[in-house]
Amino acid sequence: MAEKQESESEQSGEEIRIGVYVCHCGLNIAGSVDCEEVAEFAAILPHVVICKDNRYTCSDQGQELIKSDIKEHKLNRVVVASCSPRLHEPTFRKTCEDAGLNKYLFEMANIREQCSWVHLHDRKAATEKAKDLVKMAVAKAALLQPAEEIEVPIIRKALVIGGGVAGIQAALDLADTGYKVYLVEKEPSIGGRMAQIDKTFPTMDCSICILAPKMSDVGHHPNIELLTNSEVVDVKGSIGNFHAKVLKKPRYVTDDCTACGECAEVCPVIAPNEFDIGLAIRRAVYTPFAQAVPSTYMIDMNLCLNKENIIVCDKCIKACEAQAINFEMKTETVELEVGTIIVATGADVFDPSSLPNYGYGKYPNVITSLEFERLINAGGPSGGHLIRPSDLQIPKRVAFIQCVGSRSEKSGRLYCSNVCCMNTIKDSLLIKEHWPETEIYVFYIDIRAYGKGFEDLYQRAKKEGVMFIRGLPAEIVQDRKTHNLWLTGENTLQKELYKANVDMVILSIGLEPRKDSEKIQRLLKLSRTQDGFFMEAHPKLRPVDAATGGIFFAGCAEGPKDIKDSVTQASAATARASILMAKGKVTVEAITPIFDPEKCTACGLCVKVCPYNAITLNEELKRIEIIEAACGGCGTCAAECPFGALTQNHFTDRQILAEIDAVTEHDAEKKIVAFCCNWCAYAGADFAGVSRIQYPPDVRIIRTMCSGRIAPKFIERAFARGAATVLVAGCHPGDCHYINANYHTQKRVERLRKKMEKHELDKERLQLLWASAAEGERFASKIREMHAIVEKVTPEEIERTKKAYEKALGEV
Amino acid sequence: MPVRIWRTPLNIEKAKLPKAEIHIIKNQCKGCGFCIQFCPKDVLEESEEINERGVHPPKVVDESKCVLCSFCTSICPDFAIFVVEKQCEEEC
Repeated sequence: MAEKQESESEQSGEEIRIGVYVCHCGLNIAGSVDCEEVAEFAAILPHVVICKDNRYTCSDQGQELIKSDIKEHKLNRVVVASCSPRLHEPTFRKTCEDAGLNKYLFEMANIREQCSWVHLHDRKAATEKAKDLVKMAVAKAALLQPAEEIEVPIIRKALVIGGGVAGIQAALDLADTGYKVYLVEKEPSIGGRMAQIDKTFPTMDCSICILAPKMSDVGHHPNIELLTNSEVVDVKGSIGNFHAKVLKKPRYVTDDCTACGECAEVCPVIAPNEFDIGLAIRRAVYTPFAQAVPSTYMIDMNLCLNKENIIVCDKCIKACEAQAINFEMKTETVELEVGTIIVATGADVFDPSSLPNYGYGKYPNVITSLEFERLINAGGPSGGHLIRPSDLQIPKRVAFIQCVGSRSEKSGRLYCSNVCCMNTIKDSLLIKEHWPETEIYVFYIDIRAYGKGFEDLYQRAKKEGVMFIRGLPAEIVQDRKTHNLWLTGENTLQKELYKANVDMVILSIGLEPRKDSEKIQRLLKLSRTQDGFFMEAHPKLRPVDAATGGIFFAGCAEGPKDIKDSVTQASAATARASILMAKGKVTVEAITPIFDPEKCTACGLCVKVCPYNAITLNEELKRIEIIEAACGGCGTCAAECPFGALTQNHFTDRQILAEIDAVTEHDAEKKIVAFCCNWCAYAGADFAGVSRIQYPPDVRIIRTMCSGRIAPKFIERAFARGAATVLVAGCHPGDCHYINANYHTQKRVERLRKKMEKHELDKERLQLLWASAAEGERFASKIREMHAIVEKVTPEEIERTKKAYEKALGEV
Repeated sequence: MPVRIWRTPLNIEKAKLPKAEIHIIKNQCKGCGFCIQFCPKDVLEESEEINERGVHPPKVVDESKCVLCSFCTSICPDFAIFVVEKQCEEEC
């Protein structure tokens, strides 16, 4: 076992030779950290045989330098102090491998995201912190062990969640590549928002005309299994081997349906059609729109007169020649085994009734841009005549209001929705095309015509006489008799007030995260940005990957975007998923548990906490058995074992203790020892760095895969060595990347805090934080809060703590 | 598509639903109440009057609500109720 190898290698007397490389990252690090000083400091650390600082370690030259040093100086461990391991650990691991060094003999010190960028104005403190971080990395590196990764086969099938244009494109691309695809759509038909839109910008193509053939392809593709009216309710497993449960709700109409529509003709129940945003009617048996795929009708059981197996009304049954109506249909659970998942769940639109000054929901002639699309569409309720709802007359004066639910603190949505400017320009041209005499006013903050062909369209609209007025109306008031609308506000270009009278107002509503995003987030262990959209693994270099392996994003789920960008992203996500599936196998990080049978008492505690059921208790042999392939690599078992019989590869007790010891060697009473999980808290701390959020420099972060790895003895050790405060930080409950491992973290920390109380110590010195990858500010403010605690802690208290936890020093 | 629906559909006038004419043969009714209980649109209720068989036959509350499903006709054990489509030229 690895633990034994460790002692063997020590016994065999293999000399540990560490090379340390301190990166300037141009001025990103060198701007606030004295890299030369850090390098000089590192050079005299134990086992360090060579230490260099250079401008860009990740460059080809930087990597070549490491490679040649490994050979020349017989380095058997490498430490790079640069950016976050979440960014460049794979790069440098590869460098080591190229030079014949096992990649698990590499360690990184994060002196950019978690040091230079967050302490921009305190060079001295930042340099001291960088030294500490390098010292920790070197201490850990000395104890690193080579490891081999196991390979897991990848199921060559994909699940696409969401059947809008992004999901459609992704499904078609994957299916054409030759992979089996399951496309799951919540609504009765695929098509999404694009199906609702009349024309697309900037080319003014008919939206459904270009989408319908694609929808139909999905319906007929031999590699695509389309599950509409269906919802993903459970996802288990990991990259390459996901197990998804899909609830398929009944349509009450079988596939024998010929979509003749006779049933809807006779159906006596009328309701507003959601597809037309309630502007048109449908029946209880219906198809949402003419081009729907599947074209099969369905019965809305919330409306149908037949309830609880009593057929009260049989009009549709009688009308259906194909005998496709079947009230006996039940909800089915479909179980899918897939290797990759593409999340194309799309976006919702902002509901402007929350802005009372615009009167939406009160004034009939104030409509949204989505309602406009249905009104101007030939297949819509008015047959393509732009009529105003109050009197069904064609308006002569129309106003568009931009940024409704975008770029506004009032609406709570600070981001730009990307599509509304161009959509309004397109809509104004559509009106001009049919009714050239219409007066059109566009009230805006900025017009963002940033894409290919966008500016041309903007200029065309201006030429056609569309009036652009900078400054949103403060208020809309309705004339009670005519239902005309008065808009008042300030023209900020001419610095004068305006009062405009129009027949109809179109609110250009923004996009927002889907209300059920949280459900998908939990199911797939995803992160979301502060705006609520899903967060990519890296904003520049991995824009379609989720942080969770094997999951990719397409379309508005990741952020507001237009059709072209959605399609582009869908094809990109497909390519990313295909890379995995073409390979057919994936290596799993060698971070599984290391087991020492001699220390095991078969108490079974580890069996209970393992989120993956990867540990079983063999009653006969009185020992545990570990199924490595099932292990997720959280390390919770190692933290739970009271006898030291379990530890985790690459995050061994000795390695973590060595890091703690390195932090607390000097000035421990002024420091915060922080344990952060790789996925949320550590990423959140990185995000604080990327956002240049400044916080006090007293924190030293030790990274583990999961906060569940943090054994009480680590925290006790930190206190025993005089640390002022300890922070344990992980994902929000329910968001844990290891199912539920962080619940054990919570229990452990709470227990320790109680113990501290018993010892009459200030329990506030041990803090627990849940912070997601997007919550940089949350992390920073916690550090600020803890900084105040550090300043308050008295030397006597530290001494008492040291005494109380004396025992923890005995741990090897 | 969770978008708030609040308007009256613009083309609701065009939806032509057949108008019903409900006929109750009061003296044939034995007052079982099935028609009242099972009507999906709650068109019927018990009347005050007492028929030849000494029970309260149903009465029509709102004929315009009837959608002509004719379930009342189907379940009436005494053939005491039937619905026909109103034949009229314009508005009725």
